[in-house]
Amino acid sequence: MKTPVSVLRLPRGPEPNSRGFDPNSPRYIALCPTTIPASQGNKADSVNLEEEQQLRSELRECFLRSLIAMTDKQVQFNLYEKVQVQAKFGASDIDVLNFQVSDLQTPLGVQKEALLRCQDMISYSFHL
Amino acid sequence: MAMRQTPLTCSGHTRPVVDLAFSGITPYGYFLISACKDGKPMLRQGDTGDWIGTFLGHKGAVWGATLNKEATKAATAAADFSAKVWDAVTGDEVLTLAHKHIVKCVNFTQDSNCLLTGGNDKVLRIYDLSKPEAEPQEISGHTSAIKKALWCNDDQQILSAAEDKTIRLWDRNTGEAVKTLSFEASVSSMEYIPDGEILVITYGRTIAFYKAHTLDPIKTIDAPASIHSASLHPDKDFFVAGGDDFKLYKYDYSTKEEMESYKGHFGPVHCVRFSPDGELYASGSEDGTLRLWQTAVGKTYGLWKCVLPEWFEVKWYAVEKPNVPVHGGDGNQRLQCLQHNKAILYTIQDRQ
Repeated sequence: MKTPVSVLRLPRGPEPNSRGFDPNSPRYIALCPTTIPASQGNKADSVNLEEEQQLRSELRECFLRSLIAMTDKQVQFNLYEKVQVQAKFGASDIDVLNFQVSDLQTPLGVQKEALLRCQDMISYSFHL
Repeated sequence: MAMRQTPLTCSGHTRPVVDLAFSGITPYGYFLISACKDGKPMLRQGDTGDWIGTFLGHKGAVWGATLNKEATKAATAAADFSAKVWDAVTGDEVLTLAHKHIVKCVNFTQDSNCLLTGGNDKVLRIYDLSKPEAEPQEISGHTSAIKKALWCNDDQQILSAAEDKTIRLWDRNTGEAVKTLSFEASVSSMEYIPDGEILVITYGRTIAFYKAHTLDPIKTIDAPASIHSASLHPDKDFFVAGGDDFKLYKYDYSTKEEMESYKGHFGPVHCVRFSPDGELYASGSEDGTLRLWQTAVGKTYGLWKCVLPEWFEVKWYAVEKPNVPVHGGDGNQRLQCLQHNKAILYTIQDRQ
């Protein structure tokens, strides 16, 4: 009777809620430049880093305020496959992955309440 | 004392695994990509099978997947009429190449600058990845759906296999067919070994080896069952094959003799490939799993650990004096334990 080869453990499977590609893995850190160019540099660039961070926070604040301004307004969404839909914007989730909308006008009729996936959108527009 | 193979099962896919590919050896090891009918190709660490990430974006079964040598880019071919190029480090989709029908196969050139695609519209396309909006170069000729297309001969030529039961060798620059091979049955798989210019093809129950430049036959082997895929070991001493009877077969390449067969999968084996270092081979099956198999059963590698059972008399030999068994020795002595068919080297510390 042959002895089976011992195994340290089984291969790790996929995580249920993540698509993986751990940004903390050595390979990721080595091969992916960070998105903030200034943070790659040496101490002399710290001024640039601060400035860039400042601009980024301003842009982020602007975006978040735009979401607030959009609440209860009619928004036109441009989706893939040349689909356009209109709906009343309700709220966004914290990661901006989904938008909660009401009275979504679709080619198949009006959906009273719906969740639109942000990854399906190309752009959206509304009147202030 | 021979040991029984323990395959490592990689789960995660929910539908049949139809294609798999290894990258080259990188400073971070080597990687494996699997194409699955669930539309979610996965990247795994090649030597352990550990999941790294899933490429999300395709809206249909993924029929083909490949990695570039450095494992920095991935490409996939899917039933949603598109081929996609991905960043294999971040998992982000980099490019979508729209086609007019199901795309079945993708292959990078060695410099990763061009991507070859083939599918059900019977046309081979070459995309320049530095100019993705430009129209691809098209090569027509096949009269049925293309199943597999590969770059060969230093990316100057293309090999393609189609449902029209032919394999064609094309000149990349002229787009002309240089040679055509016809078969009785549709070719189920193709593997190109650049070092040695060997082409491995499978059709029916046959595994056939050809010279890649000339398409001259080298040898053929008949298996006990219909074979879907085969792979030749980098040292060209053996090859493995799998197919309809769910088993993996291992053959001696020189003698053509069947050495071993392994059960494990619960469905037909669709694809099998050796790792770039030849230490293991991976198989993908209708049962939705990938399995990793050791080439040298019992050797310590990846997740496999060679454990010497206490009750065997283990003979130790100093590397410098291979004919004289020793017991003990000083801390600097390198000892060799002869087990199975291969020698395993240990230092005194390991042995204790």
